[in-house]
Amino acid sequence: MRALLGFSRLIDTITEFIGKSVSWFILAAVLVSAGNAVIRKIFNMSSNAWLEAQWYLFGAAFMFAAAYTLSQNEHIRIDVVYGQFSRRVQHWIDLFGHVFFLMPFVLLVLYYLFPYVKMSFVSGEVSSSAGGLIIWPAKAILLFGFLLLAFQGVSEIIKKIAIMTGNMEDPTPYVPTHAPLDDALSTEPRP
Amino acid sequence: MIEFIAENLAPIMFASLIVFLLLGYPVAFSLAANGLLFFIIGVELAPLSDSINLSWPLLNALPDRFWGVMSNDTLLAIPFFTFMGIVLEKSGMAEDLLDTIGQLFGPIRGGLAYAVIFVGALLAATTGVVAASVIAMGLISLPIMLRYGYDRRVASGVIAASGTLAQIIPPSLVLIVLADQLGRSVGDMYAGALIPGLVLTGLYMGYILLMSFLRRDSMPALPLEARTLGSGVTSLAVALVVAAAFAYGAHVYLYPTHGANADILGATAGVAFIYVVALIDKNFKINAMSRLAQQVIIVLIPPLALIFLVLGTIFLGIATPTEGGAMGAVGALIMAAAKGRLNMEVVRGALTATTRLSAFVLFILIGARVFSLTFYGVNGHIWVEHLLTAMPGGETGFLIAVNLLVFFLAFFLDFFELAFIIVPLLAPAADKLGIDLIWFGVLLGINMQTSFMHPPFGFALFYLRSVAAKVPYLDKITGKNIQPVTTAQIYWGAVPFVCIQILMVGLTIMFPQMVMHYKGTGTAVDPNTIKIEVPGFGAGGGGLGLPADGGGLGLPGGLQLPGGSPLDQKPADQGGAQPQTAPSNDLSQPPSFGSPGAQPQTAPSNDLSQPPSFK
Repeated sequence: MRALLGFSRLIDTITEFIGKSVSWFILAAVLVSAGNAVIRKIFNMSSNAWLEAQWYLFGAAFMFAAAYTLSQNEHIRIDVVYGQFSRRVQHWIDLFGHVFFLMPFVLLVLYYLFPYVKMSFVSGEVSSSAGGLIIWPAKAILLFGFLLLAFQGVSEIIKKIAIMTGNMEDPTPYVPTHAPLDDALSTEPRP
Repeated sequence: MIEFIAENLAPIMFASLIVFLLLGYPVAFSLAANGLLFFIIGVELAPLSDSINLSWPLLNALPDRFWGVMSNDTLLAIPFFTFMGIVLEKSGMAEDLLDTIGQLFGPIRGGLAYAVIFVGALLAATTGVVAASVIAMGLISLPIMLRYGYDRRVASGVIAASGTLAQIIPPSLVLIVLADQLGRSVGDMYAGALIPGLVLTGLYMGYILLMSFLRRDSMPALPLEARTLGSGVTSLAVALVVAAAFAYGAHVYLYPTHGANADILGATAGVAFIYVVALIDKNFKINAMSRLAQQVIIVLIPPLALIFLVLGTIFLGIATPTEGGAMGAVGALIMAAAKGRLNMEVVRGALTATTRLSAFVLFILIGARVFSLTFYGVNGHIWVEHLLTAMPGGETGFLIAVNLLVFFLAFFLDFFELAFIIVPLLAPAADKLGIDLIWFGVLLGINMQTSFMHPPFGFALFYLRSVAAKVPYLDKITGKNIQPVTTAQIYWGAVPFVCIQILMVGLTIMFPQMVMHYKGTGTAVDPNTIKIEVPGFGAGGGGLGLPADGGGLGLPGGLQLPGGSPLDQKPADQGGAQPQTAPSNDLSQPPSFGSPGAQPQTAPSNDLSQPPSFK
């Protein structure tokens, strides 16, 4: 268990570092996009490479941050029912979800993404826009994002089992988003 | 039994989706898992039913569908507006506005409530983030309202409702997502939502006016000692007249050279002039104006400038909505810096929150693309369409049914989930009935706004609860003991506003002209967007000729569509979901901007991207 938790911590460290770093890409995308509009208006020039650069940046930001978002338990849930369960049941739901929802999806997508990106790389695919960017790095963003997500999934499963067997404190306790509004509610009838 | 399942796979899939989602595992992955599970079932059962068009090679389409999500220019507006909203929140603009406008309106009956609605609308027009507005108003206006004896239900209701205006007044995230899902241009969606948004604001104010007559003691006027800025409304009126005169002068001067643009340029000149005058007046202590007038002008102009920077440039066709968001974000950074409230921590925090929101929203969309691949493969769209078009009462019957459905789903689904899962199912049916999709989108937008106010799960109520007093406290100014706001009061306060919302949906159904005027202004945006995207077209070579080149592969043109999302997956496309067609990707951009009334250049691209039933 200790070795597994070490592995999980390694994954968490890497995805956290990446997830936090890529948020700067959003600022870069903002500046590129605002710059595009201003330059087009003032100099009447427009570059497809820069237009594409904005969504390359955003793509990298949300794809690479997905794993970190998962580790922070920030992917939104519909917790109308979930919120009513005991913490133990919630753990079981999470574990079930990681194993049967998340992992099959991510692994299947990776299976299809490898040849997809490889083909783009081998053929040296370039954007069909005049002066556009090369495509394969952007497609590799998808691949790398899902790869991170796969590793994070493994880490989450390890942590979940460790928490359920009492080997670890719960690092991301459940915070209700949809739950009834407050603690005082128990003394107060709901309209 | 097996035949029964095979014949009814779409309804079964939909029902099980509800179970999957209610389980409480993150929505993005539950959607994807549901799609994949039924993909397997569907392939196994395909020989038993004509309505199942699934086979293993179809899974090859997945990478291209995700690529479409990533390369979608429209969705870029989501992080931009979110970032802008968070930076503005940190800049303290809301606080300044509430303080000053509260002082201005305070002395009339219900004045603070008007101030909250006015500021709510103003904040809504600069950003699309509900949480920020509600929290700012709950922290600043609510204690003042309680201090001077406002009815708690009115006070909390008006704050929660005004915060949700951010959902419907452009530039709102809901409208971006809806435009994307309905395959319409964001600019048109904004133009269409503008008047209903303002009418709704007017209805809120009308309700306060009505209440101030019916229950006079529920919203007393502020006593004079509460006015720390003193009086001086006359001075403000004079300043406004001077500004208007200056604007008119500038207009007359500029008209010969600038034509129609002179209106906007003249107004800008007038506003800038009075702002500079107020700043000089204040900084050099000339004090020709009253302090109240100075403060109102100095506080009000920057948000107005920001609104112009974002909405003005979008409506004038200078920038695309995405770029408008980016410029707004830069403007917000500048404003926060000017107030000395910009530091590394603020930027980092805003970026982290934005990235997190982007990741979960875009992953819901990715999950929805997996779900729709299967759902359309089992003819789920045809099932939903039959269900909806069979509704009695034609167009109106359909709209009422759909709105009731969304209203009830909004009790436990967020707008992102509604927009990505439910809206794509409704859109083809609406289109078939000849309903304008912008009008439809605005209606849904107003309706989904209720999902923020519904007791007991509405987000706005949740945010307000988090900042409203839970225990009795001693008011610092009056020294009186103030009772807390109970949760029941927050719930009951929201109810009249939910009713107003329903009324507004009804009004929008009855008077579509409120939305339809977008067709007039839409042309201002189009030429510009076309200019940006056309290079991509020409060089791709595939632009207009794609059906021919793609023919051999079965033209999965629709598969890469960013905006069209699930709607594009027609059974006919299934043969050729090969990655080779990726270069045609760029085609997918223009349709997201192509308005229904677009020029001929964009029309062909619409064919590729919009599914046939959507035309």
